[in-house]
Amino acid sequence: MADAAVLPPARPPFNPWPAVIFVALIVLALLFLAPTAGVLLSSVKTTREIALGALWSIPAELYLGNYAEVLANPAVHRYLLNTVLVSAPATVASIALGALAGYVFAKLPFRGSNLLFLVIVSGMFFPPQVILIPLFRLFNAMNLIDTLWPLIVIHTAMGIPICTLLMRNFFATVPNALREAAILEGANEWQVLIRVALPLSLPALAVLATLQFTWIWNDFLWPLIFTQSDEKRTIMLGIVNLRGQYSVAWGVQGALSLIASLPTLVVFLFFQRYFIKGMTMGAVKG
Amino acid sequence: MARLVLEDVTKRFGAVIAVDAVDLQIEHGEFVVFVGPSGCGKSTMLRTISGLESVSAGRILIGDRDVTHVAPSRRGVAMVFQSYALFPHMTTAENIGFGLRLARVPKDEIARRVTDVAKTLQIEALLDRYPRQLSGGQRQRVAIGRSIIRDPEVFLFDEPLSNLDAALRVRMRLEIARLRDRLDATMVYVTHDQTEAMTLADRIVVFNQGHIEQIGAPVELYDAPANLFVAGFIGAPAMNFIPAEIEAGENGKANVRFGAVSLPIGREAAEGKVTFGVRPEHLSVAAESEHDFLGRVEIVEKLGAESLVYLQTGFSKAPITMRIPPELSVHAGEEIPVRVGRKRLHLFDAEGRVI
Repeated sequence: MADAAVLPPARPPFNPWPAVIFVALIVLALLFLAPTAGVLLSSVKTTREIALGALWSIPAELYLGNYAEVLANPAVHRYLLNTVLVSAPATVASIALGALAGYVFAKLPFRGSNLLFLVIVSGMFFPPQVILIPLFRLFNAMNLIDTLWPLIVIHTAMGIPICTLLMRNFFATVPNALREAAILEGANEWQVLIRVALPLSLPALAVLATLQFTWIWNDFLWPLIFTQSDEKRTIMLGIVNLRGQYSVAWGVQGALSLIASLPTLVVFLFFQRYFIKGMTMGAVKG
Repeated sequence: MARLVLEDVTKRFGAVIAVDAVDLQIEHGEFVVFVGPSGCGKSTMLRTISGLESVSAGRILIGDRDVTHVAPSRRGVAMVFQSYALFPHMTTAENIGFGLRLARVPKDEIARRVTDVAKTLQIEALLDRYPRQLSGGQRQRVAIGRSIIRDPEVFLFDEPLSNLDAALRVRMRLEIARLRDRLDATMVYVTHDQTEAMTLADRIVVFNQGHIEQIGAPVELYDAPANLFVAGFIGAPAMNFIPAEIEAGENGKANVRFGAVSLPIGREAAEGKVTFGVRPEHLSVAAESEHDFLGRVEIVEKLGAESLVYLQTGFSKAPITMRIPPELSVHAGEEIPVRVGRKRLHLFDAEGRVI
């Protein structure tokens, strides 16, 4: 009889799966990063170097002329401004409306509110192509084609389902006793929302702000449909526009692509610090 | 003067009647405790008084003012929640001063009053902390602070101590007792903890299935329960209930009989089946010559200050509980002679009403 205590600890059988998954993830990560790396490399090369076919090579010297050209181009300033003018109000409006609707669905349910909630959330499943032509005719009738208004309105409306869903689910985790305590202290529903529910929902707001801003900023389809003149185009169309001016300027396009993705990165970094866990800790019980 | 009057108050949730035509008058400065099993309507009653729930029928008056349809914050009530309900994103000072800020009281006055309240509750050192940085007892104090700062006429406590551990609960119970002496206000307190009810209350209101079973001073409920429900609910360990019969005794007075035992009850009573109730402390281990019945000891629980003995008897399916001094040595399996104290016998008719 062997004494169990002196036996060496049993070695678990070799499990290959973690290694396989690890390798697969690295390959996927490289595949995802490759286009960005390609764009970054192109943006610091001269057109001549790219034309010679050295797309993936490390540039002979760091050429920043593409960036200078992009930043000096007044059309690019216009694209960036237009995109901000669409993204900022649409992000704020969709979150504000989603928060209002979400609060009602979470804290002030009424007869049929669950059904209405489902109807609103199902708005997420509409492919844009289905509503594209009716919307074009609508805004055409309103004489708003080639303005930024359709973009703001559509992005706000398209953002409401996801914002309502997220805010409702977050507000549902805010204990009812907090609302009741605030009401006993003299708060009305608006004050409960502004002073209690929203401050506790900063993580949800941060997630939504990042998501919405990124989606709207990166959108290509709606500005393509509703804007025509160069003065009204957004940055994603601008990248394409830049191609046609003289030649296929890969370097310039690469530089603009990177510049165009900076704002979303900044928004993410800014809101990242609000992704705080445990904000509601200590609200109730231990 | 903040008298609280409930007139025929009913609260329905769909087909369920949570509070059923409750009439109650609570005098100014009185400390009234609502007790009852879970789902008996005591918390709903409290929430109805606060205004968080509307009434389905009836009237609520606070200080002779009909507040039945008045907004919660205008009723002059403050509530302490079971979960404390502190705002997690506000410091202690901000939590306490929240109501005053909503009422647009000047900042320096808010600061002064918050400091006053904090002094009263000995939480001055915690004013800059967030709820997550406070212990359970400290959070409870902050919650109480938030309720007293607006100087309400009626305080409502919804099981405020049930989340605290046993030792802290005893301490906070004493503090609430002190608080009620200091504040000249009417207090309504909901609990399912009998000790809290017995120690804090001027009067206890026993709820069951939405209606009031009995109202009275703690000792009154203990000594003279109006029915089986109150008799069984008030007192721990609970009163023993034994199926029995009333039969004619000497001098026209009645006896109660269960098993081979027949006890004079000292008054007249109609013959028939009854439930005989006796509290554990009114049973004692007696000399062989004086005993009323023999019981086989099933379990002995030694609690230190006293021992609880559970007896098997021929006349009751449920074990009979008795309370004995700790120095009496009793062992499981032993058969002991038991005497029933003659002074506190409770008899209930078939409907559970006291006879």
